[in-house]
Amino acid sequence: MTSADFSTILPEFLLALYAMGALLAGVWFGKDKLALTLLWATAGVMLVFAAWIGLGDIGAHVAFGGLFIDDAFARFAKVTILISAALVMVMSADYMLRRGLLRFEYPILLTLAVIGMMMMVSAGDLMSLYMGLELQSLALYIVAALRRESERSSEAGLKYFVLGALSSGLLLYGASLTYGFAGTTQFSGIVQVVQHGQLPMGLLFGMVFLLAGLAFKVSAVPFHMWTPDVYEGSPTPVTAFFATAPKVAAMALIARLVFDAFGQVPGEWSQILALLAALSFVWGSFAAIAQRNIKRLMAYSSITHMGFVLLGLAAGSAEGVQAMLTYMAIYVTMTVGVFAFILAMERDGQPVTDIRALSLYARAEPAKAMAMMVLMFSLAGVPPFLGFFAKFAVLQAALNGGFIWLVLLGVVASVVAAFYYLRIVFYMYFGKEVEPLDGRMPAVQWGLLMVCALAMLVGIFNLFGIEGAAAAAAAALVN
Amino acid sequence: MSPALIAALPFLGAALPSILIRTGRNNAAAVSALITGLALLGLLLNLPTVLAGGVVETRIDWLPWLGLNVNFWIDGLGMLFATLILGIGLLIILYARYYLSNRDPVGQFYTYLLLFQGAMVGIVLSDNILLLLIFWELTSLSSFLLIGYWKHLPEGRQGARMALTVTGMGGLSMIAGMLILGHIAGSYDISEILKHKDAIQASPLYLPALLLILGGAFTKSAQFPFHFWLPHAMSAPTPVSAYLHSATMVKAGLFLMARMWPVLSGTPEWFYIVASVGLITMLLAALIAIFKHDMKALLAFSTVSHLGLITFMLGLGTEAGALAAVFHIINHATFKAALFMSAGIVDHEAGTRDLTRVSGLRKLMPITFAIATIAALSMAGIPLFNGFLSKEMMLEAAFHTSWLHNEWLVPALATLAALFSATYAFRFISHAFFGPVSTDLPKTPHDPKFGMWLSPAFLAVLVVAIGLFPMVIAGPYVQMATNAVVGGGYHMHELKIWHGVTPALFMSIIAVVGGLAFLAAHAPFQKIWDAMPRPEAKVMFDWVIARAQALSDWVTQGLHNGSMARYLMLFTVASVGAGLYAFSTGMIGAPTRELTPVNGAAIVAWILVLSATLCIVAFHHNRILALVMIGIVGLTVSISFIYLSAPDLALTQISVEVVTTVLMLLALNFLPKVTQIESSRFKISFDVALSVFAGAAVTGLIYALLTRDFAFPTMSGYMLDNSYNLAGGDNVVNVILVDFRGYDTYGEVTVLGIAALVIFALTEALLQGASSRKLIAWRPDVARGGDKHPLMLLVVTRVMMPIALVVGLYIFLRGHNQPGGGFIAGLVVAIALVTQYMASGFAWTQARQKVYYHVLIAAGVLVAGITGAGALFNDMPFLTSDFGYVKLPGLDKFELATAAGFDLGVFLGVVGSVMLALGGLSRLARRAAMGEQEGENGPHIAAEKPEARVLAPLAAGPYPPEAKVPRRWWKTARAAKEATQAEIAAIHENKKNHGGDH
Repeated sequence: MTSADFSTILPEFLLALYAMGALLAGVWFGKDKLALTLLWATAGVMLVFAAWIGLGDIGAHVAFGGLFIDDAFARFAKVTILISAALVMVMSADYMLRRGLLRFEYPILLTLAVIGMMMMVSAGDLMSLYMGLELQSLALYIVAALRRESERSSEAGLKYFVLGALSSGLLLYGASLTYGFAGTTQFSGIVQVVQHGQLPMGLLFGMVFLLAGLAFKVSAVPFHMWTPDVYEGSPTPVTAFFATAPKVAAMALIARLVFDAFGQVPGEWSQILALLAALSFVWGSFAAIAQRNIKRLMAYSSITHMGFVLLGLAAGSAEGVQAMLTYMAIYVTMTVGVFAFILAMERDGQPVTDIRALSLYARAEPAKAMAMMVLMFSLAGVPPFLGFFAKFAVLQAALNGGFIWLVLLGVVASVVAAFYYLRIVFYMYFGKEVEPLDGRMPAVQWGLLMVCALAMLVGIFNLFGIEGAAAAAAAALVN
Repeated sequence: MSPALIAALPFLGAALPSILIRTGRNNAAAVSALITGLALLGLLLNLPTVLAGGVVETRIDWLPWLGLNVNFWIDGLGMLFATLILGIGLLIILYARYYLSNRDPVGQFYTYLLLFQGAMVGIVLSDNILLLLIFWELTSLSSFLLIGYWKHLPEGRQGARMALTVTGMGGLSMIAGMLILGHIAGSYDISEILKHKDAIQASPLYLPALLLILGGAFTKSAQFPFHFWLPHAMSAPTPVSAYLHSATMVKAGLFLMARMWPVLSGTPEWFYIVASVGLITMLLAALIAIFKHDMKALLAFSTVSHLGLITFMLGLGTEAGALAAVFHIINHATFKAALFMSAGIVDHEAGTRDLTRVSGLRKLMPITFAIATIAALSMAGIPLFNGFLSKEMMLEAAFHTSWLHNEWLVPALATLAALFSATYAFRFISHAFFGPVSTDLPKTPHDPKFGMWLSPAFLAVLVVAIGLFPMVIAGPYVQMATNAVVGGGYHMHELKIWHGVTPALFMSIIAVVGGLAFLAAHAPFQKIWDAMPRPEAKVMFDWVIARAQALSDWVTQGLHNGSMARYLMLFTVASVGAGLYAFSTGMIGAPTRELTPVNGAAIVAWILVLSATLCIVAFHHNRILALVMIGIVGLTVSISFIYLSAPDLALTQISVEVVTTVLMLLALNFLPKVTQIESSRFKISFDVALSVFAGAAVTGLIYALLTRDFAFPTMSGYMLDNSYNLAGGDNVVNVILVDFRGYDTYGEVTVLGIAALVIFALTEALLQGASSRKLIAWRPDVARGGDKHPLMLLVVTRVMMPIALVVGLYIFLRGHNQPGGGFIAGLVVAIALVTQYMASGFAWTQARQKVYYHVLIAAGVLVAGITGAGALFNDMPFLTSDFGYVKLPGLDKFELATAAGFDLGVFLGVVGSVMLALGGLSRLARRAAMGEQEGENGPHIAAEKPEARVLAPLAAGPYPPEAKVPRRWWKTARAAKEATQAEIAAIHENKKNHGGDH
């Protein structure tokens, strides 16, 4: 442990100190008095950290003897994680307050989860991988059950916990097998062992189980079962959080693992990832057809999108990683926008999740309906919105990686998926007369909805340097 | 003007009408016309270059990493289409100015119209297929807005939905096709792709790419079997139908086929797919059109039919076919737009456009009649009108086409289609404009204002002009465009009205005469048609959507039914599947390790563990029994540790086993002793099979791993060599715990303490409020033994107490060199204390207990920490241990290690944690027992606490014992809770009433 080590993990370290300080402050000032202040302060702190990391020094640093890697790839993921977490937090303030859910633990738990995610994307060792993963997961198990008087929320938290524990077990099993047969837990050491030719049996098992455990975290089919239930059961702001930052972290972690530890044998893992990808986007888009609950629908939607992201990763090239990172950034923006809207879906002050309630929404609220339409088209991957470019880049990478049939399957899936996204648009513009939703939307949510929708349009002219950063990140990972 | 600017102009100006609408409709229309006119002018400035065979280009890099560049070019084909789009756009803007009423949001309409126009121009001028795709979907989007503009019509909604669903999905499928094309050609620029005909057609991906691209083209151009959406989109306002659904948007599909013609056509696949689909569409749609009463529906199906004709021509893959296609695109655009506008005028002036209601309009609306007749005759293929010329070409080309070596099939069908086409064209005229003057119309029709008929009249003039002087008016354009379609080097023969007596002429005559005959017999045929069952596309579309939804619903309900067991099943199957995948693809060498010999004791232990495990599964419904079985497993495992020479582990295991069993017994106390059988026999056998499968997989994996060497020798050698030298201990396990991995142990002790505190906090919370009341109301579900504190047990435990403590001390002290240590000692002492609680009762023990367990935990963590920190004074890292030998008088020389201090911390922490957790749980039991006593003491308490009586059945468990447990148990629980609350309220109410009586 040297001071260089500490300066490398300084952001994580300070954020952890902040979380502990906030916890003490929260307890000291008594029951939830500080909750709102903490929420905003935490969001502010995260944005500051995002700016710090994003604009900070370039280059790669390795700390704690290889446990922790800080490079362009990690920084890209961290900035995405921090910003999306901050945005989700600020837009949840109103919702949580009015439903009496705003406990001071909420921002602190999210901070802890974010620290876990930052650890995950910087992990250079199976040990730090697991530490980050569990820090994240344990915090998330609790926030899933935040609405503790609601059976659905408790059930969601419990299911998530049990299945999550199982997946962690699977991952640990894989990690120990990898350790046993590679003789090291460090990615850079593992990659030395697998340098020559095929993977030995034990390592292959290790890798497969590691990937299976991580697939659970990105809710890739067939490890996705928890997603719809947890999305539906959790309070909506928590669902929004689930759909954004943790997905980025887990995806980055998978990328880190396959490239840093198993980069010499891309053939072994790209097949697994391709299978997960195909199952995810096919199943995600097919199953969503039946969904009337917009939160469940977004759950399947996220499964579909993760399928596409995995497809980019499966390409096994820098191009694929770049496509995947860009996709994640765009996906997070879209999701934040959509959830800003969902949070305000209310009738008589009560949350509504049935998509049919949106009927003729455009008549009363043309601006919001238009923004939502843009986001839906973007999620469906319809040109010229940004979602199309994301999807296109991924498909292109996969095509260049030789996954032609997977690309075709992906297109079929996106065609099916388009149906259910567009259905929401239809309800808004052409639905039957129903009792209208409340027009109320807090300024923060309104602003985020509009900004995200606008980004889908402006992004096609200027991606705000995301593609450059993603390219640098990809280059840092694939060398 | 540069192509990019031409495409951008409508977008740039799109906001203007919405702004200027405040100053009046005329200004909005004028500015729209101005923008369109400007773009058209700019386009025509490039005409000389393009006519001379040149290409005008603009190239801007946009997203080079995607291969997406803003490349525009104007070649012959683009020129033709752009002229049509902008020219007809101009006419439509004029027409719409008069068609739309004051109440319509005209500004919005023009904005959307301009957006749409820009998108269309973008499609035809793009020299990059990704850019083309973007504009392609923009047309879908803006057309959606345009159709949605007529919001109040319910059928409009359905139409818009279908239109966007079908074309949107087609567009998405096209993306893949384009991606493949670009992949083969190595560029996404169209001009580049067009150079790679051989590479593309030789590629194995040619067919998928073709199918995907045609999927986009066919859906957009409403070709069979996607033809159904177009007629349903006709409920849009007439200017929209005229523009989108006749002249421009639906032709985007044709444009794409023409654009890709040089690289995709000429193969059998192309011919059989494109030509056949075109022919079928042409025939089928024409037939349907004959029997439509709505003028716009008739025109809609006729449009589909004519699009089929053009597709058919493109599908032939010959230059003659391309020529016919190009020429018919021009002709169709002129006469069909004129017809749509005429139909709109009729609708506007008469209030209806039902062919069974309007008739004899010839006398009332002579101008409209003249325009419509000219256009309709052109559509029917009557000489001297432009439709005749291209139809002749079509028939001529069809005559020379054989389909699967069948020479007459294509000509016959083409003639039949032409016949149908003539029929509906004649019907359009004769039913609407001839016959008796209808009197029951909503409005009295008359010719509209000049501005409204000007646009169709202009087109009608074009129809005649091209029909009379094709070479002069349309010749250069047709040559230019056809040249672009076939990929250059094309020289057209002169366009002429009279080609001499050709087969096509005979076919034409048959068509026209047959058409007249069909019209004469229209009424009976209509009856037959109406009586005939025929597939209704909309119904089928809805059916497909509903089926897909139901199927998806069924599958998701099956897989995501909320049942944890189902999820775990999926998880297990997936994990085992992953393992099997690894197994099947990995290399597995021969075992490298020998199996250790097996003796009788091992076999006995093995059988014991196995049968106990089986018994747990078999008897898990009886919870106590299951706990006993778990105990057996634990004990056998401890014994096997001894057998495998790991006394430390055995000691730990056995003490942990005892503590956990006691804790679990305390917790189980409050749960029903027996759980219900919820699953069906089938499900149970399935689960058994699954678990055996998963178990076998895990066993196999472990066996395979254990019989092979790992990557490196185990660490035990290092520990054995160094434990005495470095840490002064013989007991390697203890040395690892307190020294080598001291950090871990320190962390673990802390965590253990936190866990105990959490348990304490939780049980504390349970002792308040509703849960406390529940506890008080709780009654044991099995009969209690007679004596709470049996004397024998009491005596034995109190006698044993000092002995147990001494044993604990002994184990603690010997830990460094012999099996033992702080952890085990802590557990032993904890067990000694627990037995006191069990035998003598909580109150008795608590009264004699002077030390708070919280303090023990804190002390443990502190002691361990301070010991560790001591190393810092010695300039060693935290937790480094030191040891030395001390000689005290009267004793042998003995060793003192700082590790002992650390171990003491561990010891204290363990004792405190276990006791705190245990204490918490016992308090729950005590609270419950309190209620029990009250219940025994007499009925008066129950009367005073009516809730208690009511809550009693609830507290026994979440569900009533006799009920078969439903899958979602909480529903019952909630229902029961609500019922209970109601009952409590009723009791209170009752009491109050009684009080009032006295």
